Amino acid sequence: MLTDAYVTGMGVISAIGMNVGENLHALLHKHTGIAAVKTAFGKEAVMAGRVDSDDETLARNLGFSRFPVSRTSLLGMTAALEAWGDNRQIQGLKTGLISSTSVGGMDKSEVFYGDFLGGGHADYGVLVCHDSGTTSESIAELLGISGYVNTISTACSSGANAIMLGARLLRSGRLDRVLVGGADALTRFTINGFESLMIYDREWTRPFDESRVGLNLGEGAAFLLMESERSLRMTGNLPVGRVTGWGNAADAYHQTASSPEGKGAALAISEAIRSAGLTPADISYINAHGTGTPNNDLSESVALKNIFGASVPFFSSTKAFTGHTLAAAGAIEAVYSLLAIREGMIWPNLNFAEAICDTGLIPVTEPVRSTVNAVLSNSFGFGGNNSSLVFTV
Amino acid sequence: MKSRVFVNAASTISHQPTFGEKGFSGSLTRLEKGSELLQPVYREYIDPVMLRRMSRILRMGVASASDALRQAGVASPSGIIVGTGLGCLQDTEKFLTNFLTLEGLIPPTAFILSTHNTIAGQISLSLGCHSYNITHTQNAVSFEMALLDGIMKLEEGGNEILVGAADEHIPFLDKVAAEWGYDDCVLTSGVSFFVLCGSPSEKNLAEVVDTTIFTGTCDRKEMINSFLDGHGLKREEVDLVLRGGKPSEGLAGFSCDVVDYAALCGLYPTAPAFGFHYGIDFLGSAGSGKKVLIVNELNPLSLGLILLIGIEA
Repeated sequence: MLTDAYVTGMGVISAIGMNVGENLHALLHKHTGIAAVKTAFGKEAVMAGRVDSDDETLARNLGFSRFPVSRTSLLGMTAALEAWGDNRQIQGLKTGLISSTSVGGMDKSEVFYGDFLGGGHADYGVLVCHDSGTTSESIAELLGISGYVNTISTACSSGANAIMLGARLLRSGRLDRVLVGGADALTRFTINGFESLMIYDREWTRPFDESRVGLNLGEGAAFLLMESERSLRMTGNLPVGRVTGWGNAADAYHQTASSPEGKGAALAISEAIRSAGLTPADISYINAHGTGTPNNDLSESVALKNIFGASVPFFSSTKAFTGHTLAAAGAIEAVYSLLAIREGMIWPNLNFAEAICDTGLIPVTEPVRSTVNAVLSNSFGFGGNNSSLVFTV
Repeated sequence: MKSRVFVNAASTISHQPTFGEKGFSGSLTRLEKGSELLQPVYREYIDPVMLRRMSRILRMGVASASDALRQAGVASPSGIIVGTGLGCLQDTEKFLTNFLTLEGLIPPTAFILSTHNTIAGQISLSLGCHSYNITHTQNAVSFEMALLDGIMKLEEGGNEILVGAADEHIPFLDKVAAEWGYDDCVLTSGVSFFVLCGSPSEKNLAEVVDTTIFTGTCDRKEMINSFLDGHGLKREEVDLVLRGGKPSEGLAGFSCDVVDYAALCGLYPTAPAFGFHYGIDFLGSAGSGKKVLIVNELNPLSLGLILLIGIEA
């Protein structure tokens, strides 16, 4: 008998809210968090989803004072603490933590490196928070978790892969409960990176729209607390849903572009549905990757049509709310998927006007009340790293 | 379900004669500053069009992965799992420099190749392999994290799994080390790849009994004892200990040789993968039933343990 991964806690911080309640409110009321953001002196503002709190405030709210610390860590700690809630260490329950990030402490390193190149005083001390693994270590330390502490970095699918790995560790019996998620801060590194690829929309991003030209970046973090049945019996926590299916496949097409036929995406989606013991017809809602880039949204649409045929379920991308939060995206969207189940709601895809000519798929554009039993969440990244998750009641 | 885990191929690019060699473990000397990496002829392993854009870590990674798969006779593995402590530093530094200093349009190549998962991604691209593909990055225990994932993949029914580790040195790291007061370390690059398989065959080089990772404060002596005890072993039954980092009191009481692998391969976050290859090489000549314990104390915050056993003749 396979052990399920029961989700008993959720935490999220993003441009649309500092916690689960605020994020839910924004999703229900179509409030975006994307606005013009200044990233450096003399630079033009870009449209991005910034968390409305500076590092000092985040640290103060956490009661955290061991500096230097990356913004990525602070975001991760905030969401992890919300997901962890009042839980505590229990003798005999093996508890682990898997975070994920693509930039790690780059928010601090890029400031350092500018000073370093400029020849002035550069504080080498901040580099202790550069590497991605440190993000997870600092979150684990804050929560008093020791033992299995790991970090996944598969670009934009990192958060989904952290959840998948956590579910597998529960199933293998190596852990009884595990906090899984991801965190990424806005950085000049990534903004300049996507601008250099010419897929950064200067306007508000338009996922799945024929006129889309690119993404807006965002920042944030989200965590799930997942428990085995054995753990549930000991903690008495009530599940909000389960992670029942997962698929990870390489597109093996190009380092950054998705294959036109969405091969890796289709492999990940079909494996996630199959491993959940479901068929495509069982999926109530798809939280799409939907970055708003011409390439991703077309490739993902083709993959959806290949899997679901003429009856593609309700689907939407929530990236026009939060911006693309890179490694955190899979985790933030996991929370939104579980909220869809809990609230019986389908979240709207903002800024959609006209379907992509080649595929004609129309996302949900208003919040819709509906029975949601199973949600498919897609996360596709650079390096052809494609992952899909299935959440069920 | 628990599966037996065999290593069918091992490939390492380092300062030592490890690439394409067997029996090197008996004759290595301590690495000195100024030593050069012994790199293979990359075009024998990598498509020349891909090769041109690749940084050192990508060349080393794709060549080592390709060598390991050739040795094992595997065309397309059922998983590609990579551990890296610091990722693709050369391209990260290059893109930082570009956007901080250039005006106008910035070339995207360094950004594209800067993400940690580029190594695993480029391997999947070079093989046209659509299997499970993931990158673990947990400081000094990144390799053990990748190895454990590989073991779990075999338990879940995978066939041959490619597991490896890669880290890249850039001159800037020496500046950081000097600022932080670590002048005496030889910081360098290193890459290793292995093919894991669940079934016994004449291809088996060694068997992985177990691996465990612990982050946080713990009694290291007790951790090592309970790891060995879990497999019915006592300290005196271990035939070789390979260790890295500042040795803790947990390493006292072994009667066998204790070899510092980081002194042989230099310091990089995934140096334990070199130790793993060293252990496999040692078992190739030491013979059946011999036991090697690899103790990773490179980072005082975490402990990585791997137990290898020689193949029954």
